Amino acid sequence: MNEQQTRDLERAIATDPRTHELGIRLQVRGDHLVVSGEVASEARRAMVLEVIRDHDPGLDIVDYIVLSAEPGPGEPQHEQIDPPRR
Amino acid sequence: MPDPIRVAAVGDVHLADDLRGRYAPLITNISEEADALLVAGDLTQHGTVEEAEVFADEFGAADVPVLAVLGNHDYHSGAERDIVRLLEDRGVAVLEGTSTTIDTDAGRLGVAGIKGFCLGFSGRCAADFGEPEMKAFTGHGIETAARLRQALDALEAEEPDVTVALSHFSPVDDTLVGEPKEIWPFLGNYRLGEAIDETGVDLAVHGHAHAGREKGLTPAGVPVRNVAQPVIQAAFRVYDVVPRRSA
Repeated sequence: MNEQQTRDLERAIATDPRTHELGIRLQVRGDHLVVSGEVASEARRAMVLEVIRDHDPGLDIVDYIVLSAEPGPGEPQHEQIDPPRR
Repeated sequence: MPDPIRVAAVGDVHLADDLRGRYAPLITNISEEADALLVAGDLTQHGTVEEAEVFADEFGAADVPVLAVLGNHDYHSGAERDIVRLLEDRGVAVLEGTSTTIDTDAGRLGVAGIKGFCLGFSGRCAADFGEPEMKAFTGHGIETAARLRQALDALEAEEPDVTVALSHFSPVDDTLVGEPKEIWPFLGNYRLGEAIDETGVDLAVHGHAHAGREKGLTPAGVPVRNVAQPVIQAAFRVYDVVPRRSA
């Protein structure tokens, strides 16, 4: 997989109706295709990998995708914003 | 010092069926923390009406007014008008070159909102030059900033105690740090920042830059907060904005 094909596959992940993930980055490292970026759920991670496999990159896929931190209960963080001096 | 107006905000929740149930339980009693909840675009993942229904179900649980702008994802399926109609029917105010006010115990909150568009910042900015396609791209970015300015100008007549500018695209590059510099022109628009600086805004809130950072300032020193959910890693942030009359 050359550089151009890698970028084309990144664009495919951004535009494929199954994914529409704009923050996924691909890098070729030897026989490996390193997939990184952040998605909101396991289902979305699986879909990104499915789109990649559909394009048959001919490389071992290394999944470095991270899941967004799921918001949970707890005290919300407050910040005071003071008025401008004008 | 008067009590602050409490503004909760989040962006880029990218809702679809797989995330149903993620937000509603966390915002059901949000009135204990905030006077209004602002959502800075990318309400949906693919821009479908079905996903907008998930958003309405989740954020309709809030017991304070919910104000939103759309993001680029919400336009992808060409259903943005239907999405706005659905959200308005479900009680979410959608701002697009428009403004609204909310009277709270601490004073009047004014919010002007727009999705915004690409353009860029100093040294990395599209120019209104050359091909018609380039002029159209640049012109749309400039137009969205002009519309934000009009909305902020109109808001002034309502005499808000606190004014917030809500957008999806960023008005400054401070909050883009962490994103690759090559894509900054696609993440924000310095003209939005100019509109904010020239119209008495107390706080600007945006999303879109998932790998950016939360805090920044406009060139004139107005606080800007990137509330993209992957940045704040919470259901929302609360900004306690002290009214200007105390300055």
